[in-house]
Amino acid sequence: MLWRSAQPRTCRTADWRAFAFVFLGVLAVGCVMIYLFIVLIDPYGVVPFSLPLDRRIVSTHQRYMFPQIVRSGHFDSLILGTSTSRLIDPERLDRAFHVRFANLAMSGATAWEQKAMLDFFLHTAGPPKVLVVGIDGAWCNPKADGERESIYGFPDWLYDDDPWNDYFYFFNSEALITAVRLVGLQLGWYRERARFDGYAVFVPPEPTYDLARAQKNIGTREPSPNPLPPPLPADERSRMSFPALVWLDASLARLPADSRKVLAFMPVHVAAQPTPGTYRAELEAECKTRIMAIGRDRGATVIDWRIASPLTTENKNYWDRLHYRVPVATRVADQLAGAVLEGRQSDDGTYVILAP
Amino acid sequence: MLFQSQFYVLIFLPAVAALYYLCAGSAVKRQWVLIAASLVFYAWWDVRFVVLPVGQIVLTWLLALAHERSKSRALLIAGIALNLLSLGTFKYLDFILGSIESATGLVLPRAHLILPIGISFFSFQLISYLIDRMRGQAPIYPLRPFALFVLLYPHLIAGPIVRHNELVPQFALDPRRDGLWRRIGIGLVVFTLGFAKKVLLADKLGSIVDPLFAQAQTHALNLGEAWSGTLAFSFQLFLDFSAYTEMAIGSALIFGLILPENFRRPYLATDIRDFWRRWHITLSNFLRDYVYIPLGGSRNGVSRYLLATLVTMGVCGLWHGAGWTYVAWGFWHGLGLAVCHGWQRLDRPMPKVAGWAVTMLFVLAGWVLFRASSFGVAGSLLLSLLGVHGSGHVEAIPLLAAAALVSALVPSAHEIIDGFRLPFRAVAVAGGLLAICCLLEVGRGAPVNFIYFQF
Repeated sequence: MLWRSAQPRTCRTADWRAFAFVFLGVLAVGCVMIYLFIVLIDPYGVVPFSLPLDRRIVSTHQRYMFPQIVRSGHFDSLILGTSTSRLIDPERLDRAFHVRFANLAMSGATAWEQKAMLDFFLHTAGPPKVLVVGIDGAWCNPKADGERESIYGFPDWLYDDDPWNDYFYFFNSEALITAVRLVGLQLGWYRERARFDGYAVFVPPEPTYDLARAQKNIGTREPSPNPLPPPLPADERSRMSFPALVWLDASLARLPADSRKVLAFMPVHVAAQPTPGTYRAELEAECKTRIMAIGRDRGATVIDWRIASPLTTENKNYWDRLHYRVPVATRVADQLAGAVLEGRQSDDGTYVILAP
Repeated sequence: MLFQSQFYVLIFLPAVAALYYLCAGSAVKRQWVLIAASLVFYAWWDVRFVVLPVGQIVLTWLLALAHERSKSRALLIAGIALNLLSLGTFKYLDFILGSIESATGLVLPRAHLILPIGISFFSFQLISYLIDRMRGQAPIYPLRPFALFVLLYPHLIAGPIVRHNELVPQFALDPRRDGLWRRIGIGLVVFTLGFAKKVLLADKLGSIVDPLFAQAQTHALNLGEAWSGTLAFSFQLFLDFSAYTEMAIGSALIFGLILPENFRRPYLATDIRDFWRRWHITLSNFLRDYVYIPLGGSRNGVSRYLLATLVTMGVCGLWHGAGWTYVAWGFWHGLGLAVCHGWQRLDRPMPKVAGWAVTMLFVLAGWVLFRASSFGVAGSLLLSLLGVHGSGHVEAIPLLAAAALVSALVPSAHEIIDGFRLPFRAVAVAGGLLAICCLLEVGRGAPVNFIYFQF
């Protein structure tokens, strides 16, 4: 028996010494072997010495995989945002804008993480020909400064110039799994998880769409207060603070005039939009006003799909309250191109061009 | 520095242990090694923080020394006041100002002081020493072991709260004495279990708890969400805090030092008194010896007992945080203890299962109060738990089930120290592999602070 024996057996010091040595030996040897494996495979294509492998996007952890897309130098334009922008196909925008887009939107990305990605792109690939920022709650979060990192963690070490410091950060489960997948990819046992322009369909396949299930996922909108309270006074709205908008403004200010800038409020279902009459609605309205002002100041096109419209009120367009379906993404990409390149207004009220 | 960081496990702990055992032949040298390591460990957050514990230690020791020479109790009272003043200033000043503001309508300025980490723990240890001196139960120690008793890094930040007479005599013992490899082997096992509880369970539960309690501030949760959040927080709090304790006890054991037990599977308690004999044991003992018994305890009539219990638990709540919800949580438990005491005097014991169920429901309701940001949110959550705000499904059932099993089945640190007799190598291999898994997991992002650091 491992635990208290009915008749205690005396253990010699040697037994305990062996126990401690085996424990420490497994720990030390295991750590060294795993570390060497990860470093040799180099799952993020970043360290100076590694095996020459075909490195593709084999992980859905965008924060870790995307820096190599930027470093590749294949792309001159980018899409930022959260999962609400992930389904915008860069190839569709490539054809319209005649540029090479990468979709670098990250699931659950905070505004700070998006800003870090933009800074990295600017530093590594130079000013983009076209920048599309998919706007949602992250940019309007009053606590954005205190909530810079999402629950996924942000590997800032992958976003600097120093390939040597990356050696300090390779010992983690994410790198190990990605390294194993890369080996699997070489052996034909594993497939890539996203195209090398960052695009991947993360929602289930279209043929499996189930409206009843989607309706359950979408839920209902929070009811409006009854009676509706009066709008907040102007001075109270002016006191609202959106730290992320300061970063957005500063980032856009760094772009040259010939970079085309697009700020797009992405179309979440109306159930996920703030209910009129609530403080959240006032907060969002003020945030939109300020983003419009930033757009005007920085020469950006501001387009708003985050409104009650035939698109956002129809449950059949959504998997859940945040994520629209792939055909909707195609529509949004086309509408975005039309709005930016031709100033085309929506004929069914699906979106509104707020600026310029 | 955090116990569950790769730097601590792979560099700091091995380096300090190596240096410590190189100096093992000299009590003076090895104590200095631990003092230096503790200061580095504490200064890792903010080097300015070091001034406060060092200042409180030196002043407390000087006052105790002066008392030894003059026998003036006023010096000890001054020492207690000094430590309370420090604790009060850094932890409670803004709370007191806010409460005065609410009561009077006056607009008062705020200090906005940074709360030095671990201040409640080291202040209480110094106060306990001074009270023991008043009672004639504490000698004058040389400054070095006295400072090490407070600073010793495994317990400095979040306990266990250690008494001087539990720790100082151990500093004189040669760490290479009999049982060296057993202590190191078991220290590794206990540390690794705590490590795993923290990074594989408690932090995962946190990702359920935080959004749900944040949501509860803006709208009422449904039944499923409320139970998910409450159960997840109950397990998170226990696993997080007991994990810290186990990592502290494991680290200390590697240095040949034994820290006291802090948890004994509290969610198996069958009544609320039993719960407090299993939950944060060193704090319970501290409050019993320095607050409850001096207030009269249970041997001076019912009204005195009720007063002593409620005041003690109110202090317990306030110790956890500068907020009225914490005080209310303390009174809630005080009330529970009083009712439990009364019931037990009736000599009509409840069936064990019923006792366990009642106790857990009581404790869960208390955790809602403890975690909620305000009484309004707590009230809304309690109503949600009763299903007033609609139904819904409990989330993350596998994770909650794993947390429940670990909470119920994994022995406490001292159960392992006392009961682990046969060092099978398969256990060592499993322990080493588990430690590797934890190291790989914490390498994924910034380590998450322990909940009790804020107290």
